[in-house]
Parts: sequence; C-alpha cells; structure tokens
Amino acid sequence: MESLITAAARALEAGDPLGALNRVALRNDAPSLALRGIAMAQLGDLAKAKTLLRSAARAFGPREAVARARCVVAEAEIALVSRDLGWPTKTLAAARTTLEKHGDVANATHAGHIEARRLLLVGRLDEAERILAELGTSPLPPAPQVVRELVVAGIAIRRLRTKDARVALGRAAHAASLAGIPGLTAEVESTNRVLDTPAARLITHGNERPLLLEQVEELAASDALVVDTFHHSVRRRGTIVSLGTRPVLFALARVLAQAWPADVSREALMAGAFQARHVDESHRARLRVEIGRLRAKLKPVADVTATKQGFALTPRKTRQVMVLARPVEEKHAAVLAFLSDGEPWSSSALALALGTSARTVQRALDELARSNKVQSFGHGRARRWMTPPVPGFPTGLLLPGPLLKT
Amino acid sequence: MKRSAAEIIREYGPFAGVEAVHGVTYDGSHVWFASGDKLNAIDPDSGKVARSLDVAAHAGTAFDGRHLFQIAEDRIQKIDAASGKVLASIPAPGGGGDSGLAWAEGSLWVGQYRERKIHQVDPDTGKVLRTIESKRFVTGVTWVDGELWHGTWEGEDSDIRRIDPDTGKVLELLDLPAGTMVSGLESDGGDRFFCGGGANGNVRAVRRPRRGA
Repeated sequence: MESLITAAARALEAGDPLGALNRVALRNDAPSLALRGIAMAQLGDLAKAKTLLRSAARAFGPREAVARARCVVAEAEIALVSRDLGWPTKTLAAARTTLEKHGDVANATHAGHIEARRLLLVGRLDEAERILAELGTSPLPPAPQVVRELVVAGIAIRRLRTKDARVALGRAAHAASLAGIPGLTAEVESTNRVLDTPAARLITHGNERPLLLEQVEELAASDALVVDTFHHSVRRRGTIVSLGTRPVLFALARVLAQAWPADVSREALMAGAFQARHVDESHRARLRVEIGRLRAKLKPVADVTATKQGFALTPRKTRQVMVLARPVEEKHAAVLAFLSDGEPWSSSALALALGTSARTVQRALDELARSNKVQSFGHGRARRWMTPPVPGFPTGLLLPGPLLKT
Repeated sequence: MKRSAAEIIREYGPFAGVEAVHGVTYDGSHVWFASGDKLNAIDPDSGKVARSLDVAAHAGTAFDGRHLFQIAEDRIQKIDAASGKVLASIPAPGGGGDSGLAWAEGSLWVGQYRERKIHQVDPDTGKVLRTIESKRFVTGVTWVDGELWHGTWEGEDSDIRRIDPDTGKVLELLDLPAGTMVSGLESDGGDRFFCGGGANGNVRAVRRPRRGA
C-alpha cells in the first residue's frame, strides 16, 4: 500500500514498535495514527494508545469501514487490559460483525475473544461460552489458539471442572510454544499456577488444611456435608441449601460445623453469629428463634439438636462435616482475589466484577491501601489499583497484526 | 466514460513467504512483484518464482528497460536487475505516502495514495515535474500506448481506470469484484495488465480492453 506505512507495519509485526514509530512519528493520517497507537500500546502507554486509536478511527473515511472496525477492536483490547470493563460492548459487537462481513476472519475472531475474556472476568460464564461457540471450532493460528484455550480454561476453572481446564491449558501451552510469543507463554504459566495454588481451606474436626482446586472439585462429589463460605451455602452432593440472604443463619451453621462433632455453647453461638459483646436475655430469645429458622432450612441435609450446653449439628446420611473457606480470610478478601491477577483494575471494573456498588469497592480499596495491601496509580477516572509488587505491564496485549494491511 | 467489469484472466500465487504484494512491473519476460523485503520475478507462463532479490520493497515497482525502480520507505531506489545492487536513490514525492510506480517517456510516475495524486518525477533528481489529481486513493500506475491507467482502492472497492493525463478526467473504468484489491499495476504492452492483490498475496492478470472494440 503506502510505502512508509508498509515499512512501519512490518516493523510492528517483527516486534519492533520503536522502529515503527520512527517511520510514522510525525504523520497524522489515519493509518499512521493507528500504527502509532498500536506501537504505544506495545510500549505500555495505554492512555496515549487509546487516544491515538480513537483519532485514527475518526480519521478513516466513511467508506473505510474495515479499517475503522480494526481500530475499535484494538481500543477494546486496550480497555480489557486496563480492566476498563465498562467499555461499550455494542461497539465491539458491531465491529466484529463488520469484520466478519468483509471476510477479515482473523480480526473478527480476535474481537470475539476480547468479548469472551471480558465476560469471563465479570463472571458471565454462559455468555462467554456462547461467544466461543459462535466463533466455531475451526483451527486457528497459534496465537489466537492460545487465547481461545485460555478462555476455555478460565471457564472450566470457574465451573470447577479442573480436568477440562488442564486439558485446555495443555493445548494452550503447545500453541504458545508454536507462536513463540513470550507474553503468551507467561499467561499460560500463570493460569497453570492457579491450579497448583491452594484455592481454599478445609476445616474439619477443628483442624484445617489447604485444598487445591482439584480437591475442591472432589469434595463437591463426595459424601460429606459441606458448609461452603464461597457460596454461603450448606450442601451435600446435589442438595444445596443456600443461605446467601441469611448471614446470621450461615454464621450459626459455620460455627456449628467447625465444632462438629462437638456441640457449641449458647454463648459461643451468640458471640459468633450476633457479634454481641455482652449477652443478655434478648440475645437468648433471638438465638432460639434463629436456631428454629436454621433447623427448618437445613432439614434436607442436617438436624440441629439441643444439648446441655447449647446446640450440635447432626448431618443426615453422612458421617462427615466440613467447612470450605477462603485460603486467607480477611476483610475484603474478594477484592484482593481479583487484584491478585496482577493487572491494573479500575474501581468501577472491580465493582462490576464483584457485583457491588462502586462506593463499597472504593471504601474497601481505601482501607486496603492504608495497610499497604494495594497500590494505586493515576488520578480521577484513570486511576488503577494493583496488588504490590507491580508485575511487568500488560501481558495480555495481543493487538491484531494485520490491522493496516489494506 | 466507458465502464465494464474487469476480466480476470489468470491468478498467480499465493507464493511461499509472501504476505502481501505491494508493487508490480514487467521486464518483457518476467513479472516482478514487491513483497516487503524482496523483489520476486515470476514466469508468466509457468506462474513459478524464477528468482528473488533481497531489497526493501514497500510499495510500487517499475522497469525502465535496464533497471528496476522500487519504492522503499520514503525513497525510490534504482536497482540493478542482475545483481540486486542499489545503484542510486531519490526522495519519493509523497514522503512515504507513496504507492504506485511506473516508468514512461523518460519519467517516473508515482501514485500518492491517500492524497489521490499522481506525480511525474525526474528519475535522476526526484524533482516533481507535474501532478495529476485523481478522485480515488491511487494504488498502481502504468502507461501503455500513450494511455495512463491507475489502480484504485477506497472503502472496499477497487477498480482500474484510464484517466486523461492533462485533466485527470476518468475516461474508462474496469470494476473489480468486491473485496478484490489492486495494489500494483503494470501493462505488458499488449492486452494484459498485471495487478498486485494486496494483502491476499496474489498477482492477477486482467484483460485490457481493445481499442475501438
């Protein structure tokens, strides 16, 4: 096409963003703006990259629909990497349709993967799976193949299907070695580490031990009565009693399960469930009521029996009671869990991912920052949060190579 | 203005290691095409690559009867077709926004893509002698029998058009099928055009309409 654009695009594809910038640094035509944007993204200046790609999309003429759609996809990828999850997804979907219609399969697939990864991050697994299904199962070049397998693995991990996750990660590792992109290999490895790092703690008979994700999966299929602090439920195999909306009942169930097979005194139950410092008669009355409610709720899986001191849990059809808890239980553990992916998050993206209000997340972040558990950089809406130490900037950035071929 | 559908006679390629075709020329026996870091000569009968020269080749290609001319970054390089050695270099008139290249009547003709212009350039000094305006993004440029033809690409449409070299007025137009790109253009002096296929990495032969037919 244009000489200098061709030369700059070739430099970018060869992994030389500075070489690309050298060629188009002073030009402001649409393809140059787009190339500069991608080069800046690869150099880690995501804010500048976003501005450049947006101006490029504007600068392309109304008839250059494919070129504009590619800019939109690149901008969406930057948004994903900077955990700007509130990015308008309709724009990305429209760009994907445009690319499909014009036969740019590679970039259309790339757009689909970006959307699937966003859905995965915010926990909308069914929708992420639907997008993968739409993209089909035809063979892909190594780099996009890695991304597809990472999404498949991510969905399997969140669905507690660790075997499927390991198979997908095996395929991802193979494709990453074919692609020869270090960032991709690193991403596969870090996802693998998730499977080899304790995902939960198991508390039983007053003892506790760490559990890998695979063992959590086994537990779900086992005969034991499990008090699950992740889902605020009490379950045995397929029978699930959800106490998500009844925190007091769940707290009682947990205290009883941790003590099992021993019983728990009324004082200990009241202290554990009501957080009451001084127990009075009104608390005793309340305990009677709550135990009655808990008994009714737990009926399918367990009984709550009165003892001389207080109460005890009696599971049905099993002789095992276990509590499944987070590896580290502290306030704001859920916020820290998201931040531990090593990427910079905006507070609004965290709120989206956690399904809570931005205000709540902001309070949690401020508290965590005071104890140096999280760090922030940037100001105002561009502010991002990470867990220290700060790992190298984005590994996830795989801007589409053939962005500027035509 | 006459308008008709382009008749594609033959497709060459795809070629191993070639991602895109940036320029095309014809030396009387072989079709040369620019593929980024190489100039490749194909035998138009067998369709096979006969030889390749390792030179920067980012846009248009031309042949003056003895030398190849090739746009690389923001320069036009004069290349010895036998050895591939760069003999001389002049600045490209578009400063790197250059696309097509042709040789005719002692001048080089350079398409400036997004500026929609064709410049007549002194091949020794690079001086712009005159400029013709087109209506579309200019890709390949070629002269045959005193006719100036150029390829266009804008939006998703490509065509090959003959324009009046004095006024830039479109005299004749050959439409390519939607999504088919012309990234370089050269006449064989007879009834064939050779066109680069851009990012699809092919070279196509298109029939040139007969005069008075």
